Amino acid sequence: MTNVLLIIFIISLFYVSIANRLITYVRVLALQGFILFGVTFMQLKDIETWNLVLIMLETIVFKAIAVPMFLGYLIKRNKITRVAEPYLSNFMSLIIVTAIVVITVILANSIKDPLLDKIFFIVSLSTLFTGLYFIASRKKIITHVMGYLIIENGVFVLSLAAGNEMPNLVNLGIMLDVFASVLILGIFFNKIGDVFKDADVDRLTDMKDY
Amino acid sequence: MLSLVLILFCSLFFTGILIRTKSIASGRMGPGILQPIRDVVRLFKKGSVYSETTSIIFRIAPSVYFASVIMACLVIPFGADKGIVSFNGDFVFFAYILALGKFFTIISAMDTGSSFEGMGASREALYSMFAEPAFFILIGSFALLTGKTSFYEIFSSLQLGTSITYMLGGLAAAVLVMIAMIENSRMPVDDPKTHLELTMIHEVMVLDNSGFDLGLILTAGYIKFAMYGAIISGFFISGLSLPLSIALFLFIQFLFAIIAGVIESFMARFRMNHNPQFILALSSVSFLIFLGVLLVLEKFV
Repeated sequence: MTNVLLIIFIISLFYVSIANRLITYVRVLALQGFILFGVTFMQLKDIETWNLVLIMLETIVFKAIAVPMFLGYLIKRNKITRVAEPYLSNFMSLIIVTAIVVITVILANSIKDPLLDKIFFIVSLSTLFTGLYFIASRKKIITHVMGYLIIENGVFVLSLAAGNEMPNLVNLGIMLDVFASVLILGIFFNKIGDVFKDADVDRLTDMKDY
Repeated sequence: MLSLVLILFCSLFFTGILIRTKSIASGRMGPGILQPIRDVVRLFKKGSVYSETTSIIFRIAPSVYFASVIMACLVIPFGADKGIVSFNGDFVFFAYILALGKFFTIISAMDTGSSFEGMGASREALYSMFAEPAFFILIGSFALLTGKTSFYEIFSSLQLGTSITYMLGGLAAAVLVMIAMIENSRMPVDDPKTHLELTMIHEVMVLDNSGFDLGLILTAGYIKFAMYGAIISGFFISGLSLPLSIALFLFIQFLFAIIAGVIESFMARFRMNHNPQFILALSSVSFLIFLGVLLVLEKFV
């Protein structure tokens, strides 16, 4: 059942790569939060109850509900255009994301370590690279934040594979990461929204000390 | 034998149910379930009109198309009952006999010399080309899973047991539904009800066909839908008793018609340049099925 959820997770990456509107990105992030909630519930069996409750609260509250709502609010408040505006066409994005998954599978297959959990490794690594690709290929600052959140999800999947052995540290770190990144970038973003009318990465080069 | 009879039987009602679903979803009564068949019978009674610029290709193309669809139906098995033709690698035969029929409709559209029809032919060829890897990766994955290479052996030795194999079956059904919608030129890719030649794909190719020929092309379209429904139900009916499997087969066809109708009612047609990426996404999903099969077989070393 964990495998099923992880495969749906990869399909959500394909869906993001051909999505046109920003609101679709937000929805997919929320979906990924719910998927991670399910994976956490099924994967972490050997840890104490309170810790599990904490981790699950983190995934459901932050990843699935709060962050997507906050991103939606940001898009509305700053009146960002609703289209994602990638540098490359969606067709190329899809091919690149598929290539990333293929390469990750080949890479994982070449590692001869019996302790490695292959499917978790593949999903997390391909999510990580996909997030990096989204950051590199999208124009808007808000899509950079989303790419960062996708990378966070990838790291979270990898930490789930080792979650039974060292539960506390990894998840607290990730919670802090999610919290800090969205909050700081959100404030940063609100400030920028007051100064510049449209939020392109290209405009950031105009910010200098005089 | 049984599968051919059931496919032909289902094709009588399939498009009617689809159109009725669309009518109900848009708040109309709609025509009767058998209306598409009545239209075809009316067309069969008429003669054909041929343009002076066309050659023999234009005259034989509808018959070749119809024959190719019937030939493709022959290889499809039903549960424990083999298809009329069954040999190793018959899914390759299935895909390319359909491609042969499609090739003839394409060159017959070029034969008319109409500018619109050449455009439609080019689009049809492009989208079929993109849909092909999805189909082959999908069926190839199941061939790998079962170790067999014909439709009959794949379906009869397919054991859905664990959650991941159910997942693979569900994904395969979803991909096949979308491939069927593309191959039949239905909504997310092509709009059968459009009246503007510039936005048509399949309809614009058959603009010059009339009477008996048009009837053949329409009938082939109905049979094609039921044929894909038969492949989808093949994933789920293996190992059941005969009456139960027939009931499940009819239910899956009915459900497929309703799902196709709902997709047509609630999805808008994509912009032309968004179609290739959508169809290629199906290939990516089939690739994930391949990944899942590797996972089931524990080929990850």
